Amino acid sequence: MASIELDQVSKIYANGAYGVRDVDLKIEDGEFVIFLGPSGCGKSTTLRMIAGLESISSGDLRIGGRSVNNVAPRDRNVAVVFQSYALYPHMSVWHNMAFGLKMRGVGLAEIDSKVASAAELLGLKHLLQRKPGALSGGQRQRVALGRAIVREPEAFLLDEPLSNLDAQLRAEMRLELVKLHRRLGRTIVHVTHDQVEAMTMGDRICIMKEGRMIQSGRPLDVYANPADTFVARFLATPPMNLIPAHLDHEGEKLVVRVDSETKIIVPEKHYLPYVQKAGGPITAGIRAEDIYETQLQPEWQRITVKVVAVEALGAENILIGQLGRDKPIEIQARLGRHVFAPVDSMIDLYVDAEPMHLFDSETGKAVARPPLPVGR
Amino acid sequence: MRKFGLHFGLILACVVVLLPPLWALRTSLVPESMSYSTEIFPAFTLDNYTGLFAKNRFGTFYVNSLIVALGSVIVALPFAACTGYAFARFRTGGRFARFVVLATQMLPPVALVLPAFALLRGAGLTNSLPGLILVYSALNLPFLTWILMGFFEGVPVDMEWAAMTDGATAWGAFWRIVVPISLPGLAAAGVLGFILSWNEFLFALVLSGPQTATIPVSLAALQTSNGVQIAKVSAGVVLAILPLVIASRFIQRFIIQGLTFGGVK
Repeated sequence: MASIELDQVSKIYANGAYGVRDVDLKIEDGEFVIFLGPSGCGKSTTLRMIAGLESISSGDLRIGGRSVNNVAPRDRNVAVVFQSYALYPHMSVWHNMAFGLKMRGVGLAEIDSKVASAAELLGLKHLLQRKPGALSGGQRQRVALGRAIVREPEAFLLDEPLSNLDAQLRAEMRLELVKLHRRLGRTIVHVTHDQVEAMTMGDRICIMKEGRMIQSGRPLDVYANPADTFVARFLATPPMNLIPAHLDHEGEKLVVRVDSETKIIVPEKHYLPYVQKAGGPITAGIRAEDIYETQLQPEWQRITVKVVAVEALGAENILIGQLGRDKPIEIQARLGRHVFAPVDSMIDLYVDAEPMHLFDSETGKAVARPPLPVGR
Repeated sequence: MRKFGLHFGLILACVVVLLPPLWALRTSLVPESMSYSTEIFPAFTLDNYTGLFAKNRFGTFYVNSLIVALGSVIVALPFAACTGYAFARFRTGGRFARFVVLATQMLPPVALVLPAFALLRGAGLTNSLPGLILVYSALNLPFLTWILMGFFEGVPVDMEWAAMTDGATAWGAFWRIVVPISLPGLAAAGVLGFILSWNEFLFALVLSGPQTATIPVSLAALQTSNGVQIAKVSAGVVLAILPLVIASRFIQRFIIQGLTFGGVK
């Protein structure tokens, strides 16, 4: 059993600053959890605390039900894969992978067979005699993984293991890691700042900001129901459009009024949760993919934007436009690849308002409403 | 034209640097009586070299120097490595301890000679090679500690972390990972420490005796009441720099690698 529990875990530095603040989290045995956040948010520090490489200032950390606050890293039976790979440059691949077993006093024959099977699994068999200096980035990455696998730890802790790889290799390794997790069935904690990795790899993502864990849940649930504007923007490319507006009554309905000309009517089903905010400022969040170039549904609402730029990605066009006339707001829309929009022209777009979120304009917290159902 | 100027400047600089040792080499191969001759190479002889060994017991002093220089490095390097690593990785002693280590280098050596003499006399180690080794180790220690501290700061901590999660203790990570990958730095520090001890004069003069003198002391002894035996001194100088020249030929690459390690990824 290798569940990992963090109970009010904090990291306080000598100058009194918090690196990590009151993190509560229970990672189930065999779960693949992603820590996601911008650099400096405390995600790597949290990982290192789990590994035992960083002391815990307050709170309790349990691995497999046992409190390990004061247990040395070597006795926690977890393996860490570092961003820099941290291979031992003076040892061959074989010795790199065998090091952890040697340290644990495993017999040579057993080491040999374990290294061989891990090398087989990762396609490293022909590289065993090489030194890390003679390997490519992708191969080093595999060796680092292999070094973790041979030890058969209770949990794998991966600290941005893919960020030094080029885009194509990264996509491959992403898939391999997911396969590996399915095959080994061990707990994996994966730290990343890449939202694609976060969305595609894990059973659960935990989003961190300024040392705090601000939201955790299944990737699509978090994507569909962000807790605040930070999560809303961070978890998508292009990020969610955040539009400062005013929430008004208009007859029986609620409308998000951007300026004198532009408004978006709040769908009737969201009336009740949102009516409390009526009459005040609000931040409306609309994802780029909820804006369309043609009206396919009768309830989609027209907005007019001035085209600033179009990023043609081949499969789709990302349109960057200005919404509103008095104080134009830049928004991004994910449109079909055949959309033709000359720069500086005015274009009509259609907003699906149902997935629209409203955020408190001061705190940035999402105004609570029943979560959106997510298809799976 | 500009290229000519550059080359002229470089050649001039080389001449300034190389002329003294070349002239010492020339003088060492010329009979004593002609050493101040205006001719560039009046006559050839090896008498100065053979005389050094036959009459001035230069062989003994040469071996003394080797023993003392090597011995002091062998004694000081492990301590310096451990201290440097502690300073680089942990908050051992804080800035104060680092400063104290450096501060010992700020005293003029003369201020330390008499206390060192008193200490050695108390231990019965004056006029002995072990005594000299101990003193040189003490002199080398702060210097080597600082060099190695800078070097260890350049070693990525990830590797030690990897070793520690792999099952090594903090000491194990140091011994099995940090020390092997720091060999260029240790070699560089060792060579610098060797040179320092090899060239040291003041302490050797005060603390050694006729049997335990080192090369710098023995060369100084060639300054007699009959004047300076300049040809023998030259021969001694040539012999004294010989091991350093040979060593640098082999270790240069090591030293450069060692002293620049922190800057390269």
